[in-house]
Amino acid sequence: MEDDDPIHGGSAIDQALQKKHHDMLERLSARHQTRKSDSPDSSSSSSSFESTSSFLARFADSKRFIESRIGELRLGSSSEDPSNIKSGLAEISSAIENLEKLVAANSYFLPSYEVRSSLKAVSDLKQSLDILSGELVPKKKFSFKSKSSSTKPESKLPEIHKPDFVSPLKVPVRDSPGFRNKHGETLVKSFRGSSIGEFTLSDLDSCEVKLTGTVNALFLHRLKNCKVYTGPVIGSVLIDDVEDCVLVLASHQIRIHCARKSDFYLRVRSRPIIEDSNGVRFAPYCLDYEGIEQDLKTAGLEEETKSWANVDDFLWLRAVQSPNWSVLPEEERLSPVSLSGDS
Amino acid sequence: MGLLSIIRKIKKKEKEMRILMVGLDNSGKTTIVLKMNGEDTSVISPTLGFNIKTISYQKYTLNIWDVGGQKTIRSYWRNYFEQTDGLVWVVDSSDLRRLDDCKMELDNLLKEERLAGSSLLILANKQDIQGALTPDEIGKVLNLETMDKSRHWKIVGCSAYTGEGLLEGFDWLVQDIASRIYMLD
Repeated sequence: MEDDDPIHGGSAIDQALQKKHHDMLERLSARHQTRKSDSPDSSSSSSSFESTSSFLARFADSKRFIESRIGELRLGSSSEDPSNIKSGLAEISSAIENLEKLVAANSYFLPSYEVRSSLKAVSDLKQSLDILSGELVPKKKFSFKSKSSSTKPESKLPEIHKPDFVSPLKVPVRDSPGFRNKHGETLVKSFRGSSIGEFTLSDLDSCEVKLTGTVNALFLHRLKNCKVYTGPVIGSVLIDDVEDCVLVLASHQIRIHCARKSDFYLRVRSRPIIEDSNGVRFAPYCLDYEGIEQDLKTAGLEEETKSWANVDDFLWLRAVQSPNWSVLPEEERLSPVSLSGDS
Repeated sequence: MGLLSIIRKIKKKEKEMRILMVGLDNSGKTTIVLKMNGEDTSVISPTLGFNIKTISYQKYTLNIWDVGGQKTIRSYWRNYFEQTDGLVWVVDSSDLRRLDDCKMELDNLLKEERLAGSSLLILANKQDIQGALTPDEIGKVLNLETMDKSRHWKIVGCSAYTGEGLLEGFDWLVQDIASRIYMLD
């Protein structure tokens, strides 16, 4: 306190200071009074303080009170009769509500961190009250369910719970048509006149595959040292795990995963993509067989849109060229491949 | 309680729904959204990142978030979970080999707390392709019957190519969300 300062020994100064201090205290208390009377519900819990520290003190007090009430109720639960417990729970619940109102009323001047932490504390209190009332008040035997839960379209089997582990597929799944597990063969298939919608090439080693006609979807999986020539695919081609292959494909969409040292000759309506691939090279489609013009037209692929060179590498999201793919130099490209002789 | 009622009021006024579309790559998510919106579906590149489409549907405004499904970008799905009203899981019914991948990713998604309250529509897409699994078969493979009982879900077969089944699926989804959020309507 300045007025107790021994350095300023002069009594005149002392008196002046004391008067000043006294005036100030009076002004403060007067202001406090007016503020008190201005505030319509100064006695209620939702008054505002415009001071973070006094808010925090008030908040902490109420929070401690609620916590201690919850603790008391939990300890005394066995001895008290149900109606006491019920009123106790109601009292805590309304105290929490008041606390929430207190935060809301003061939120306009509180730092956002304090608002957040206070709201978090309130929701924690609510949660512990929920737990408490769950422990103390036995669930009703019968109750009307809310509308939303009664309209759910799921099964009524009661014993079912969410599995915590990924269980292996239990349903036997049929295989789609395709060529599988071959070594050193020439595999030929025409889709013309067939009703095949999807076709799979899987686990082929050192094979030559010739597919003519159109198909809706084509899946290529685990091919090594293969040459694959296909007519237009109306939907999409999904390629996973190919190495040392030459693939000549036409499709609306082409996705290439895990390809290494392979050349793709593509006609594609959209941007081909590669993922986890390297050493892959791209060139335009170069296939010919009798009736391919009609097939391309059927698939909407008669036009060369040059999309084969617009490759998106999902592991190279930068403006500069990805090191994982390149355009195949013209002098190294295949000369147009004709399947007419063998199919 | 206070905050929730404020959110409900705002949503009620705007009649907006946030729909998140996810699923493996090549399942047809973008094609479905464009088909729903009556746009050309013949030139669609695999989605690098995400697309947002705002579609007026009945009396509601759907904000559809179509997020790319390539393996390398699946870890970003979680950035879109917040405030999702409806979840659409799209399955390529003709991709028999990756059905277990599909199941695993869906199971992971449904463990996500932030998606716990959202309605789940499973679209068994590509039903136009000969040899595709039926919605029933897909439902069995995905083990949908064992789903958490509090989840609202439905599986619908569809073809983004022909447009079949899309309206049926979204009708259910929108109605289900509406009955949760706009209960007073």
